[in-house]
Amino acid sequence: MHPTKFILIGAATMFAGTAQAQTELTWWHGMGGQLGETVNTLATMFNESQSEYVLTPTYKGGYEDTLTSTIAAFRAGEQPNIVQVFDAGAATIIGADGAVIPAEDLIINAGIDFDSNDYISGVRYFYADSEGKMVGMPFNSSTPILYYNTEALEKAGVEPPKTWEEFQAIAPAIVEAGYTPLAQSHSPWIWTENFHSRHNLPFATNNNGFDGSDGTEILVNNDAIKAHFTAAKEWMDKGWYGYYGAGWGDNQTPFENGEVAMWLGSSGSFGGLRNSVEFDFSATYLPYWEAVTTEPTQTFIGGAALFALSGHDEAENTGTAEFFKFLSSPEVQLMWHKETGYVPITTAAYELATEEGYYEETPQAEVGIKQLLLPSGENSKGYRMGFYVQIRDVMNREYGKIFAGETDVDSAFSVIEEEGNKLLNRFAQTN
Amino acid sequence: MATTEMDVPVARAKPALSRRSFGGVKIYDHIVLWIGVFLMMGPLAVAFMTSTFDHVMIHREGMQVGWGGEFLSTYDTVLNQQGGFSGEITGWLMTKNSFILGIGFALGKIVVSMLAAYAIVYFRFPLAGFCFWVIFLTLLLPLEVRILPSYEVVQQLGLLNSYTGLILPLIASATGTFFFRQFFKSVPNELLEAARIDGANAWRFFVDILVPLSRTMMAAIFIIMFVVGWNQYLWPMLMTTEEQYFTLVRGIRNVMQSMIGADIPFYNEALAMAMLAMLPPVVIILIFQRMFIKGLVEQEK
Amino acid sequence: MAKSQFTNPWFPYLLLAPQMLIIGVFFLWPAAEAIWSSFFLQDPFFGKSTYVGINNYVDAVTGSDYRRTAWFTTIFTVLVAFLSLFLGLMLAVSADRVLRGRSAYKTLLMWVYAIAPPVAGLIGIMLFDQHIGPLVEFAALFGWNMRVGVDYWDTGIAMIVVATWKQIPYCFIFFLSGLQSIPSSVKEAASIDCRSETRRFWTITFPLLAPTTFFLLILNITYAMFETFGTIDLMVKGEPGNNPVTLVYKVYQDGFRGLDVGGSAAQSVILMLLVLVLTVVQFRLIERRVHYS
Repeated sequence: MHPTKFILIGAATMFAGTAQAQTELTWWHGMGGQLGETVNTLATMFNESQSEYVLTPTYKGGYEDTLTSTIAAFRAGEQPNIVQVFDAGAATIIGADGAVIPAEDLIINAGIDFDSNDYISGVRYFYADSEGKMVGMPFNSSTPILYYNTEALEKAGVEPPKTWEEFQAIAPAIVEAGYTPLAQSHSPWIWTENFHSRHNLPFATNNNGFDGSDGTEILVNNDAIKAHFTAAKEWMDKGWYGYYGAGWGDNQTPFENGEVAMWLGSSGSFGGLRNSVEFDFSATYLPYWEAVTTEPTQTFIGGAALFALSGHDEAENTGTAEFFKFLSSPEVQLMWHKETGYVPITTAAYELATEEGYYEETPQAEVGIKQLLLPSGENSKGYRMGFYVQIRDVMNREYGKIFAGETDVDSAFSVIEEEGNKLLNRFAQTN
Repeated sequence: MATTEMDVPVARAKPALSRRSFGGVKIYDHIVLWIGVFLMMGPLAVAFMTSTFDHVMIHREGMQVGWGGEFLSTYDTVLNQQGGFSGEITGWLMTKNSFILGIGFALGKIVVSMLAAYAIVYFRFPLAGFCFWVIFLTLLLPLEVRILPSYEVVQQLGLLNSYTGLILPLIASATGTFFFRQFFKSVPNELLEAARIDGANAWRFFVDILVPLSRTMMAAIFIIMFVVGWNQYLWPMLMTTEEQYFTLVRGIRNVMQSMIGADIPFYNEALAMAMLAMLPPVVIILIFQRMFIKGLVEQEK
Repeated sequence: MAKSQFTNPWFPYLLLAPQMLIIGVFFLWPAAEAIWSSFFLQDPFFGKSTYVGINNYVDAVTGSDYRRTAWFTTIFTVLVAFLSLFLGLMLAVSADRVLRGRSAYKTLLMWVYAIAPPVAGLIGIMLFDQHIGPLVEFAALFGWNMRVGVDYWDTGIAMIVVATWKQIPYCFIFFLSGLQSIPSSVKEAASIDCRSETRRFWTITFPLLAPTTFFLLILNITYAMFETFGTIDLMVKGEPGNNPVTLVYKVYQDGFRGLDVGGSAAQSVILMLLVLVLTVVQFRLIERRVHYS
């Protein structure tokens, strides 16, 4: 344990001992390891910042485990005040009418000022309802960006690509320099969900699923993405792209080892890369196809958000609102941003970081936010689809088959469409 | 039950027999066994050695052969580092939970199944046949195939994150009952007749005669069931979402979780935890080897 | 053999009560609930159910993935069951024949019995790591570019190796006990009758081990189908992608990760039926087995 954290906790315990009538709040989350430590520090800071509430965070395992145990607890009437839910689980929790108090209502009811415009635009809508009301409070927000090994690109004598066309032009030189040009972690998130957002293409009917689950159909079987995967398969065959399976780490490792020159990962990976990589690296926006659009739009966030669960009394809800307010404050956001690499969620925090000169030292850390601030489009707010965990499983499976040469791009996408729609239809029946 | 009587003559006859086999066969046998030992123990040895290295090193270069010098600090971290917000969760706590699960499961199973087997073998009563078939049915469907509804039931009973909820559903399979049923059947009738003449009632006969008679059998089953309980993974994984109930085997998953994300996983700690999780069952099995093997093989009968 | 028995109107029920209670609550109730909920689609938060008839079954069985998973489970089960049987037997035969160091061999060979399937999975996936795994590098020596985690069958083979490794000690222990309980008179008579060691083994020793073999086969099948969950979970690192999984893993994946309660229940019921069929087959075979043992 870090000595600072130890002191903080010591102080918090002493504090808890003196004040009696405090309202207890619980927060279940899915962040282990170093991130979990930072979550604990956040809670300690909140507890010290005021004397009315005591917040206890509990690590519940991975995102899926956290959601499952929350549901079990909800059914048993023992739900926490706050739960962290990941992007693919958003439809499940938001779709369960009455399980969640929208963050916006919660904050306003507690008499705290709220303006959704304070939040960065790529962040604002992902966990909102169709009218734009924020239901979840964005917490660990990240967005896909392109990391590159500076030495590798210098050796090849090329610049990082802005478009996939540019990538195709520079790839041979990178191969020449002795590297595999590209790898990517999490194809459903980067090359599917954010692919649609970046090119402003609709991803599902019913306003990308935001208008409700009835009759929502996935629009993934389109020419643009099929052309992309056809190209990606060709890249792989030429040795321009390395596919290392569905696991996140398996695709990141070859970049860290210096075998792969460019890697598509999360803006939140920055903190980890700093520790694991021995060469200079930088980052740039997620490339797009000029053939598809000349006006690329922003990406949206991945990661997870915090949801206030219903079934708690007024005092506790006010406490939760206070914590949300605390979390959104520029200072806390800046600390979180620097410590973890996740993007700050408010404009004010972003400005604070800029003023402090943080991005002059570490320009890579700014790429994600700048990308989230790019012009938005009809289809760049995100998506809302149920049983989405399984839909991602289907995508991962079919992409794996494409790259293993077990299927062709056309059949893979018709399978994804068919099985995705079947799952969406099943989900619609649960509500 | 034939094994016990035959062990002795076989052991005595052995030298005479092997004198007749060819030297070449023995060398072949030793080679086979050496390869076997290498393949069975090699991975464990490599895993142990790797656990003494630093996690960044393992991440970059994979499993290691040699001594990494981080042995003390890694194992100290795994056992003593306080996790969770409360700082209460340590490796020792997980070890304690593993013991509670292993011992609770083994004891619970022995008590419940001995009583049931006693009723089935020594009593004549109307529903005997029905009860026997219900118990038999549990052998057919392992917990794994009814895992989700079991979870829902335990949840409805409010037993999530409790030792009771952890242990009882695992006991529902009736392997132990069949075990004791076979054993009781082999107990000579004369014992019961003699006890009756002495005026012992059903309970006294059980406590004074059957239980002492089954002591070896109970010990053997205890060892087997302890290992089975200690090594449970799927059920504890679903059941225990609160860290203070995590077992060592369950804890490995947590370290692995970070393998999915962008952080460098603490491979060294995961492996150290795996080594610690392996230790108690191995020690018990090796110490009580004879008893364990006897109990295990008895299942076949 | 007729057993002397007590007659008592209530005592046997009292003795059976704990067992029956546990079975009722934790076995019959869940099994009934599985069958019940397999006909519904459920909202996980509030448990609101919509009756969908046999749709869950149709959806489960018609998924291209389900058939592939069933096929993999079959191959996985058969290979793991037979390989561990064969290797366990081979080691036991050798261990039975040697004199010097037999107990040391025995101790070292049964060690792995004590480790948990997920521990085997963790060690396995590190040994088979697609970038830096020693076993992948070993395979490369033979020109096999093994890509565990990417190639369906490469991952499948790694899983089969790890699952077999974990099960060998179990078979070894049983076979060694079986060999040692063969009466010495039989062995001696055999060694006079039949000089060829190999022929002697297959014509005399192995038939004597047949009941053990059969029993182990059943246990190995159960092991491969159900208990390997932990191994597989660790080896796919929680993200199966285009990697093989078993039917049990899929029940978990859809039910717990995906929160599709009805779909998962339908798959559970299918598995239950499968196990019932296996048991019936087992009984048929046991009847035959009685004749020669």
